[in-house]
Amino acid sequence: MARGYPGLMRRIERLINLIAALLEARRPLTAQDIRDTISGYDQLNHDAFRRAFERDKDALRSMGIPLDTVPADKMLDGRADGYIIAKSRYYLPELDLKPDELAALRIAAQAILGGATDAESGLMKLSVDSGGDPAPGPRVVWGADLAAEQPSLGAFYSALLDHKPVEFGYQTAGAAAASRRRVYPYGLVHRRGHWYVVGQDIDKDDVRAFKVARVSGAITRMDGSYSIPSSFDAAAHVGGEAWAIGPEASDATLVRFDASMRWWVEQNMRGLPTSPGAEGALDVEVPVANVDALISWIIGFGSEVEILAPESARRRLIEHLAPYLEQHLEQPA
Amino acid sequence: MSPEDKGRLGRRLGRILVLLPYAIRNPGISVDELAQRFGIARRELIDDLNLVFLCGLPGYGPGDLIDVSLEEDRVYVDMADYFSLPLRLTPTEALALYAGGEAIAALPGMEEAEALRRALGKLGRALGPGAGGDTSGIKVELDAGPQEHLESIQKALHERRRLRLEYFSASRGEMTQRTVDPWGLVAALGRWYVVAYDHRTRDERMFRTDRIKTVEVLDELADVPTDFDPDEYRGAWSGRRAPDVVSFEISPAAGRWFEDYYPVTRSAILDDGWSAIEIATSGEVWAATLLLRLGKDVRNVRPQVVADHARRLATALAQRHRSPEIGVAQGSAGLNL
Repeated sequence: MARGYPGLMRRIERLINLIAALLEARRPLTAQDIRDTISGYDQLNHDAFRRAFERDKDALRSMGIPLDTVPADKMLDGRADGYIIAKSRYYLPELDLKPDELAALRIAAQAILGGATDAESGLMKLSVDSGGDPAPGPRVVWGADLAAEQPSLGAFYSALLDHKPVEFGYQTAGAAAASRRRVYPYGLVHRRGHWYVVGQDIDKDDVRAFKVARVSGAITRMDGSYSIPSSFDAAAHVGGEAWAIGPEASDATLVRFDASMRWWVEQNMRGLPTSPGAEGALDVEVPVANVDALISWIIGFGSEVEILAPESARRRLIEHLAPYLEQHLEQPA
Repeated sequence: MSPEDKGRLGRRLGRILVLLPYAIRNPGISVDELAQRFGIARRELIDDLNLVFLCGLPGYGPGDLIDVSLEEDRVYVDMADYFSLPLRLTPTEALALYAGGEAIAALPGMEEAEALRRALGKLGRALGPGAGGDTSGIKVELDAGPQEHLESIQKALHERRRLRLEYFSASRGEMTQRTVDPWGLVAALGRWYVVAYDHRTRDERMFRTDRIKTVEVLDELADVPTDFDPDEYRGAWSGRRAPDVVSFEISPAAGRWFEDYYPVTRSAILDDGWSAIEIATSGEVWAATLLLRLGKDVRNVRPQVVADHARRLATALAQRHRSPEIGVAQGSAGLNL
């Protein structure tokens, strides 16, 4: 197709005509109907029409326009597939948002970093019936980088809203190859900077949490439907601290916080058993199932925190640091 | 069609499909007001209207075309009832609003939180038949330390007050006293940070809220730049100053997830499967800690000063863990990073 601005304009015109015709059609239109009647397609030869129509369908669907295909055997004359846009699924329902509700949503839209374009376009749709000037937003002092714009997250959310099962490749820690998973998505949880999709694993017949960053390849929708258990709490199925999630047996790991860091435990790790250590330190029993994650966490405290036991975890930390240690340091016994 | 053209087409068509309902519902709105509302130039708006003017229903006679008229700089759109409502929210639009809303509504001292909760509840209805009432299916959790600390920070932000912090600096391995002018709260990597001007270092800093031991709101007023933009602090690095660039190579295993979480400015796959990475960072010590966490999944660190920081911190930690006499306090290793 012709590139550049005029070509783009012509195509947008054609798409607007297509949307209008399929919204107002009393019955599904066949490709032939569309070619014969809708402005913008009439100039094209058969092959060019086919290509243009395929591209246009994709473009509209990728914008979220519910362009439905009605199979030929469901059509009156039974000869060709039909196409229609269902008004009930195209139009935004009247939400009767109050001015303070819109203003609050505006703060949310401004706060989201990364997905700002999506948030803004959503807000524009919601503001259509609000009338008047859009109130100038308050001074923006909040921002949240939630990586909500990653495409796989959108694919999971879209399937969740439509209650469609999905299939995807999943890379578990330590496994050489990704395994195929078939899941009914129930909810999405953002915790500790990661997104998880929580749902029923069809093959394992149990609720599982999948880290979205470990999903590899495309997320494909499967046939069928499902319902989400009422009052389902997705967050309850996502593990807590990274060091608590893993394949290793939860050895009693004892971690010492020096006197200078004692307050941090008291403030942020309530609920774990502690005992007083030497020189005002506080020793904490941490249920560790992933020693690598424990090591990463310990490093974040500089040298104010020490793994006391087990000895194997102490050695693992030194091994982990080995590439950085100076040559002249004596090797551990 | 290039992805760029495709993006342009989607944005433009998407805008027109919202602009039309708005113009239909507000007959006689001025060109400037409409353009301002949609954040576009007057010329762009007129181009959009000229384009719509040629569209309509099959037949495309006078009674079928959308009737767009400009009278004394006022916009009237008729004969397009089928465009009098906008398209439903897409899943990604809803996801962005929900995620942002959930993050903000959970902050203490947020007077808009109640209205936001109501709005998010109504949004559920805009998501299509599959959405289950009030439950969006999205939950956002952000670590923030004690609630009362956040309350004080929020109060300082609202009243433009200076703060005094007792803060654990991982890079110095010690508690520090700071007087700061808070600019805003930014969530990244799963937790909230206060972005503030630090009077001690005379520079802006991001303070992890869970590492603040005490916080006191001072009577003094804070200096806050008028152009503070949270977007400059994505990935938890300060973006106002020209950031330092740190380069290194990471293993294929680390390469799979690294770019999702850190501000990577350049990356290239090497012949042996490792990736050459450049990250933007405002702190050499922050970078050193990050590299140390990667352990043997990282090599060829530049500049040398970052590698030196990493080696010093590694040495101190290793010394502490080398002693077989468990339970004997080794004391602080006296890091002067």
